[in-house]
Amino acid sequence: MAITFTTPARASFLLRMPKLPGMRFLAGNKKARLALIILVPILLLTAFASYLPLQGPLQTNLRAMMQEPSFYHPFGTDRMGRDVLARTLAGVQVSLLVGFSVATIALVFGIVLGTIAGFFGRTVDRAIMSIVDIFLAFPSLLLAIGLVSIVGTGLIPVILAIALADVPRFIRLQRSLVLSLRSRAYIDAARTVKASQWWLMSRHIVPNTIAPLLVAGSIAAANAILVEASLSFLGLGIMPPSPSLGNIIRDGQLYLQQAWWISTMPGVVILAIALSLHFLSDGIREALDPRARK
Amino acid sequence: MLTYSFNRLLQLVVTTLGVVTLVFFTLRLIPGDAASAMAGETLSGEALDRLRDQMGLNKPILIQYFEYLRNLVSLNFGDTITTGLSIGDLLLTAIPITLAIAVATIVLTIIISIPLGTLAAYLAHKGHKTLDNLITGTAMLVDLMPSFWTALVFLLLFSLTLGLFPASGTVSLDEPVAFLHRIALPVLVLSVTQIATMARITRTAVLEVLSEDYIRTARSMGWSELRVLFRHALKNAALPIVTVVGLSFGSLLNGTIIVEFIFTIPGLGSLLVNGINSRDYQLVQTLIVFYALFFVSVNFFTDLVYKRLDPRVQF
Amino acid sequence: MNFMQPITDTVLQVHDLHTHFLTETAVVKAVNGVSFSLKPGERVAIVGESGSGKSAMAMSLIRLLAYPGKIVSGEVIVGGRDITKLSEAELNGVRGSEVGTIFQDPMSSLDPVMRVSEQMIPPIMRNLGLPRKEARDIAVGWLDRVGIPDAAGRIDAYPFEMSGGMRQRVMIAMALSCNPRLIIADEPTTALDVTIQAQIVELLKNLTAETGAAMLFITHDLGLVARFAHKVGVMYAGKIVEFGSAADVFAHPRHPYTQSLLRTIPNAAGAERERLLQIPGFPPDMRNPPVGCSFRERCAAAQDRCAVSTPELTFRGVDHSAACFLPNGLNDAPAPPKPVKRAIRLSNEADLVPQQDILEMHNLRKHFPGKATFPWSKPKTVRAVNGVNLRMRKGETLGIVGESGCGKSTLARLLLGLDEPTTGEIFIAGIAQMVFQDPYSSFNPKMTIFNIIEEPLIVTGAGTRPERAEKVRALIKQVGLEESYLDRYPNQLSGGQRQRVGVARALALNPSVVVADEPTSALDVSVRAQIINLLCDLKDDLGISFIFISHDLLTVRYISDRIAVMYLGEVVEYGPAEDVFLKPAHPYTRALIDAIPTPDPAIEAQRSINIISGELPSPLNIPTGCAFASRCFKVTDRCREEKPVLVAHSQKRDAACHFPL
Repeated sequence: MAITFTTPARASFLLRMPKLPGMRFLAGNKKARLALIILVPILLLTAFASYLPLQGPLQTNLRAMMQEPSFYHPFGTDRMGRDVLARTLAGVQVSLLVGFSVATIALVFGIVLGTIAGFFGRTVDRAIMSIVDIFLAFPSLLLAIGLVSIVGTGLIPVILAIALADVPRFIRLQRSLVLSLRSRAYIDAARTVKASQWWLMSRHIVPNTIAPLLVAGSIAAANAILVEASLSFLGLGIMPPSPSLGNIIRDGQLYLQQAWWISTMPGVVILAIALSLHFLSDGIREALDPRARK
Repeated sequence: MLTYSFNRLLQLVVTTLGVVTLVFFTLRLIPGDAASAMAGETLSGEALDRLRDQMGLNKPILIQYFEYLRNLVSLNFGDTITTGLSIGDLLLTAIPITLAIAVATIVLTIIISIPLGTLAAYLAHKGHKTLDNLITGTAMLVDLMPSFWTALVFLLLFSLTLGLFPASGTVSLDEPVAFLHRIALPVLVLSVTQIATMARITRTAVLEVLSEDYIRTARSMGWSELRVLFRHALKNAALPIVTVVGLSFGSLLNGTIIVEFIFTIPGLGSLLVNGINSRDYQLVQTLIVFYALFFVSVNFFTDLVYKRLDPRVQF
Repeated sequence: MNFMQPITDTVLQVHDLHTHFLTETAVVKAVNGVSFSLKPGERVAIVGESGSGKSAMAMSLIRLLAYPGKIVSGEVIVGGRDITKLSEAELNGVRGSEVGTIFQDPMSSLDPVMRVSEQMIPPIMRNLGLPRKEARDIAVGWLDRVGIPDAAGRIDAYPFEMSGGMRQRVMIAMALSCNPRLIIADEPTTALDVTIQAQIVELLKNLTAETGAAMLFITHDLGLVARFAHKVGVMYAGKIVEFGSAADVFAHPRHPYTQSLLRTIPNAAGAERERLLQIPGFPPDMRNPPVGCSFRERCAAAQDRCAVSTPELTFRGVDHSAACFLPNGLNDAPAPPKPVKRAIRLSNEADLVPQQDILEMHNLRKHFPGKATFPWSKPKTVRAVNGVNLRMRKGETLGIVGESGCGKSTLARLLLGLDEPTTGEIFIAGIAQMVFQDPYSSFNPKMTIFNIIEEPLIVTGAGTRPERAEKVRALIKQVGLEESYLDRYPNQLSGGQRQRVGVARALALNPSVVVADEPTSALDVSVRAQIINLLCDLKDDLGISFIFISHDLLTVRYISDRIAVMYLGEVVEYGPAEDVFLKPAHPYTRALIDAIPTPDPAIEAQRSINIISGELPSPLNIPTGCAFASRCFKVTDRCREEKPVLVAHSQKRDAACHFPL
């Protein structure tokens, strides 16, 4: 059998950097590259928003209300003459913060509780999973709406509410990954030398669940961004005047006919972010599964 | 089959009880009770206490819990706090509207997404990448559009610009034609997302089945591609598709909340958003429990359908 | 050489067939100019290792290649028409009715959600133009003919309600149901147990003889070729390198590859064994096949011209041709590889350290609870291991053989402490380690080879870090790999290299017993020989005791000192390897040995073969009497009532039978 590597030649220099497997993967995968092409400019613009020649996101200008997109206002202005691009970039900050935080919370709790449930089984498993089942009985947006209605609006409640809907899903995913890995032959191999449970879990099981979890994690981040936008749109998330992509669109809803850009532009940005996160997840999956590379 | 249904039903009851309990205690355990949260700072201490009495909040919590359970079982949901209307009556008018939207969306979704997904899978299987990528890419794009945004774009396009559908107006089941015309746009918005999701799932499921050995066997017996695709491939792919139909019902419910809000349709979703805005905990609690039960039951039934479709499952 | 014959005389003519897989990154040239033909009633075997292109070739014949496979040139003439030029609709008129196909894996080749009748009857109706009623009668007739009991009732069963052997019979019935003149069978018995394989091969032989259909039989098993085929084609790197009558090719192989292949198979007899031949190197990368002879880099007789021009198939006698410049292949090499002899301890008691038992099992049982029908009903018990008593002496190799489901793998898990026995005791002097069947899945993909071999040392706290590194380097050399492999990951190694690493890991703790569970069954023939040689060397050099579990009786015979034959969780015969093979005492052992085809058509032709009927009973319902009673040709009423125990049959042998042979 011939041993071959299928990394494109132009990425070969990265092969010499074994410490950075992520870099090698990003350079080698088409979808991952596409994701970065969309994501990196958005990140840069967001990070350096305050250095751009734009109005502040909260600054009003009554002399320039509802202006069409132009050179000075690429996304136009709203009913109070605020710059929609500046507000959108501020909203993206919120979105990315929500996406990242939710994915992190879901991953951490998912890994810990899912591993415990999958590895120890029996009573612990049954206890964890019956609680998970109860949470899974709520459609995710509904759960978030319900929680926000109790805890109140604002950034932190929104993050917690969305994360609470995702944690049970990650517990379930991690548990099924652990269960399928537990019967692998390399676990048996380690058990023949009487390896401890801790050893099996930390050396063999959890490391092999990380990659599929990252696939799910980037989708969860995209989903969280969409849910936050929905909540803010319904007036249950980030409250104005603090900009969020959802409440900018809500603002524009009343002026759809007069100023289509207020609602449209932030929507396009949400779509672009969600799309790139999905590409990223597809890319990770393809890198993991050689069969998917046709 | 009977044993399985029984066990699954038992599980359903346990989950339901869990949902009801969770919702009840979460609402009771928040700092400051429902009455003060509802009243805000407008009521004096005395008036607040009267409100508490009225809401039964002065009784021990376990008594409240069992009373609540008893009321639920006897379908007595109480009255709304703010307007004093019977919640049961409100549900009765709202449910048919939401249900009509949901059912219409599901029907439209199945009719369009399954052939579309099957076609994409077949194209991918045969190596026609450009066409497959076009379908798959569009589906992914549409799938990821926030539904409230799609709704606004559709509203702007079909209602405000082209004037094809009404953007607002009364909703009454007594006038079926007008009703259908009124819910057409919301259904369209929901369907677009659902079709995209289902088409992607159908494509994956069918594509996987197409590389199975028994598909090759069917071809080796001289069957045409069409028969192989629809008799063998789709029949086997139906199993994973049914499961996902059940699960994506959750996102459909999410979607109804949003479109009802945007198109001002007095269904369950509008009831919920209004309830939250007016801090009507009695109503919100009932609605959340209702949504969850609806979702869980749909999954219960899709599970049974799955078991019926798969002869391999032994009972 | 010209294979073209008058069309009337042939069922299938393949001429210069080229099949490529056009992947995104490269073109894999799987089939590179194959020509041959089949006459009516002829059984032709195509033999080759994985990657030789044999399956791609077979699937090209009826255009069942999956995307991105594509026939790029050549002709396939069936019934006077060129398959490669037919339209999709015309092709569907050929498939099933003119050419029947039998696939490898019966578990996945039948539609799981359709009844057998739904899969069998419509093609008969369509191809033979019959109404449903008559088509059903024909289908039932075929099922009956392929040996499905109660065919009229079973036709409405779902595939999952049948065993693998039964499903393959259904597959055969389906392929033959429209009276095709040509049958293509792609590894039809590979997924089956030896006894079932023997039944299926016999069935195919009889059916082709009765119907006069020609059969193309794809396989990697040279023994099956010897038992089954009139003619054989040996494929290597997408080409047929030798073609001829089976008798001639086996007796006088002319191509170096065929010659090497035949010597990689354990061929045991006598007090000395020939060390198995190892073919060096790897098959060529088919994305970039070499100019000249593709075997030259692994060939001891290679010459300069082999690198320049490609040898074509040329006549070596009547009905025999080979693609080599040398008339006699390896025998013309300046220094032909000489057979290396190695001594074998044939049950030589004096050789073994007297009375030093290294392993003992007493009345070992493992019962698994089955699934209960109702939550409140008592679940049935699967008796995987049902009372095993065995002992092993130091330095001895014990072979354990039996069909799948006989409990041999469960026994291994008990020995390794992976499962707790239900009852019984195991005593091991020292420790036991394991070599796994599929080396790839037995390695954590995230760990380097170094970490994999080091793991047992870390877990048991053996030595300091430098000491462990030292030990790992010693181990990798011991199994014949270079140190540079230590930095690699499992997916960067070939199958044979991985299994060597598996052996190295098993040796890390200096075990007294190494349990090898089917260590070679996932490997190709030529690689298999390397691993068997390695295990033999380790046994000789280190004095390790091996337990070798396998369904491959030839290998077990070659490597073992003693053999235990298992049936339904029990040992039914135990004794010195050669004795057991030459004179089996238990009817089941006899049946197993008969089922194994020998890679020699001359021997096969003379063998009187008793093919065992029936299949392994479910371990859920173990009969009260002798477990083998339902399949035994010597069965009496006593066998059905009274359970025979394992008792001394002769001085060295134990057997569990009332009427030993």
